[in-house]
Amino acid sequence: MPFGLIWHNLRRHWLRSALTIGSLGIALFLITALRALVNSLEAGVRGAAGNRIVVGSDVSLWVQLPTSYQAKIAQIEGVEKLIKWQWFGAYYQTSADLFAQWAVDKDVLFDVYPEMKLVAGSMDEFLVRRDACLVGIELAKTYGWKPGDTIPLLGNTYPRADGGAWQFYCAGVYEARLPVDNRSMFFDYAYLEQAGEAGETMYWPGCMLYVARTAEGADQEAVIQAIDRLYENGPYKTKTQPESEFNRQFVTMVGNIPALMAAIGGAVSFAIVMAALNTMLMAARERTRDLGIMKALGFTDGTAFALMLVESFAIAAAGGLIGVGTALATESAIAFQLSANLFPGYEITPDMIMGAVAAAIAIGLVAGIVPAWRASRLRAVEAIRAGA
Amino acid sequence: MALVPLAYNLRSLWVRRASTFLTVFSIAATVAVLAGVISLEQGFTAIFAESGRRDVAVFWRPGAQDEGSSIFKPEYADVLIKNSPDIELDASGQPLAAAEMFLAILREKVDAGGVVFVPIRGVQPMSFTINADRLRTIEGRDFAWGNDEVVVGRKLVGRIADCRIGDVLMLNTTPFRVVGVIDDSGPFAGEIWGDLERLRVALKRDAYNRVIAKLKPDVDWPALQERQRRDKQVPADVYSELDANLRATERLSRILTQLGMALAAIMGVAAVFTGINSMLSAIASRTHEIGVLKSIGFTAGAIFSSFLFESVLVGIVGGVVGCALSLPLNGIQTGAMNFNTFTDVTFAFKTTPTVLVTAFLFSLLLGIVGGAWPAWRAARMRPTEALRHE
Repeated sequence: MPFGLIWHNLRRHWLRSALTIGSLGIALFLITALRALVNSLEAGVRGAAGNRIVVGSDVSLWVQLPTSYQAKIAQIEGVEKLIKWQWFGAYYQTSADLFAQWAVDKDVLFDVYPEMKLVAGSMDEFLVRRDACLVGIELAKTYGWKPGDTIPLLGNTYPRADGGAWQFYCAGVYEARLPVDNRSMFFDYAYLEQAGEAGETMYWPGCMLYVARTAEGADQEAVIQAIDRLYENGPYKTKTQPESEFNRQFVTMVGNIPALMAAIGGAVSFAIVMAALNTMLMAARERTRDLGIMKALGFTDGTAFALMLVESFAIAAAGGLIGVGTALATESAIAFQLSANLFPGYEITPDMIMGAVAAAIAIGLVAGIVPAWRASRLRAVEAIRAGA
Repeated sequence: MALVPLAYNLRSLWVRRASTFLTVFSIAATVAVLAGVISLEQGFTAIFAESGRRDVAVFWRPGAQDEGSSIFKPEYADVLIKNSPDIELDASGQPLAAAEMFLAILREKVDAGGVVFVPIRGVQPMSFTINADRLRTIEGRDFAWGNDEVVVGRKLVGRIADCRIGDVLMLNTTPFRVVGVIDDSGPFAGEIWGDLERLRVALKRDAYNRVIAKLKPDVDWPALQERQRRDKQVPADVYSELDANLRATERLSRILTQLGMALAAIMGVAAVFTGINSMLSAIASRTHEIGVLKSIGFTAGAIFSSFLFESVLVGIVGGVVGCALSLPLNGIQTGAMNFNTFTDVTFAFKTTPTVLVTAFLFSLLLGIVGGAWPAWRAARMRPTEALRHE
């Protein structure tokens, strides 16, 4: 197999080869990245724990459930640990810096969410200090926060009566996987409660959600029904769901736009691939005379076939490599950017890489098979005459 | 400087029509995607921007970033309305102002399944008076004050569960009857309206969320804003309805714009690659001709502009085709989450002049970038060598 010849041919029109490879690379990158984007929406559903159930208001996420519900829900058989989640709705420096802060029961946080790991700072300090908080690793990176820092936040949901900022002490940095994202901040509900009771902010004793960890072997459906039956007639009707169901709600809420983007991107990638295919076929046609001379020199039909096919595969493979390589190289940057815009969970999976590789192979085959077949059937005399 | 006749370029484009077509196609696809995404953004913004009035003021709690996080105690809202000298009075001397409650409630989507947040607004009689010029009841009747009844926006009918006349909408533990359908050129067409006091009882909400008021003509806005911010009794941020509406569009607008730009940039690079490739092979097969052109006296500049023109022409045709491809999208409805309020918004693609001009300029840019290097190469050819080329 004359590999030198293949290299020479690719180099002879190096710009054309490079541009074709580049186009294919872009198309394959787009396909992979858009798949990852659409896939990221479901990340919260896939990561949901089977032993967690979420209790919220039946009316709205913005209707709080009274804190008095906590003791009653905790008594239900099958509920092992129970944690409050309350949206704090503050911002750092400007309102464009959007991230979630949650007032939670800090003593059970890591029991209910074992996927959270402390990567810096001290758990003891988090548990002991009243104003302590944990920040997600991405958040820490964005704002340069480290354990020991003081984080001032301006209240939007809970503005301070004195007009000033809330002061939080950064006790540690956590890393988690979805459904817990790495751009949140957690602090103790009691901190908010005490501030509210002291009149430092307008406060109502309630929370957005209760999340329960159910006991092993507990009948989850029965637990859910038992909780909702408690408050069937108010005062605040509840809606209890398995965590996966709860997270699934948000996938449909985002609307059609991600699907639309994926459809458009897919169609465009197809167009790019078609254009690249055309260039490859055109390039092959220009080679008629070369092939005729090679055949006259004694190259066999099989070699001519292989030569053309391998050349096409080489271009497709290089395109695939660039596409997959770019997708992987940009993965963390894109993930970070999307996460900062409320879309965590962007991830290139082996599945997507396999998809891009399969597409590259298909392109190589489609672009190479006809020219290869034609090359093997070519008769030297005619080819040389035609190409003159 | 004599220019190469344009007919030469047109004929050349026709001779290599397969590759011309592919270049036009990839530029058109890129432009269509850009135009599509921008028209989505325009359609979304239009709902909020076009309906926003400058003589209607919206009062929010100081520092509130959105309507939902703005809170007024009922007695404070009354004080605010009574004490503001800029609020217009009606024929009987009553201030044209209303306190309102706003909540995003979780409802099932009937058309596509799943749930979304739908805005529900508790209003006072003056809310209807202030919006009389744009709000219409298109079916059924208005709700009766003091009753557990609601009217629903036109865009919710058939999309959201329990939003047809006669349906019963369960709010916490209280059933509300749907008695009418309202329409509006702005966001109200996607909202549920009911009696403020009835809704507050059902939803167990103590506070109001905003106060809206029709202002007297020629109000000094900066003075009003300043005075209200410093007000001892009820400090508040005041926005024109237009500004308040626009604040609610920031995030989704930004997401759409950035996504559109990113896709267009990536696809644009691929389109440029295709363009360069087809120009290069066109020039390669015309090497002999270029030699002839040069030897009969056309300058390098003339040849450069001739080939650049050829590429720009392809770009323009691609741009026009791309814009044409995006036109049928105009008016198609879609739904998305408004990331400022987290509520569901239904809006249509809107192909505005801004969309078409942006898309067209982008196609021009693709043509120029794709043609510059091949044209430069053609211009630099030496006539003797080019002529020797078969």
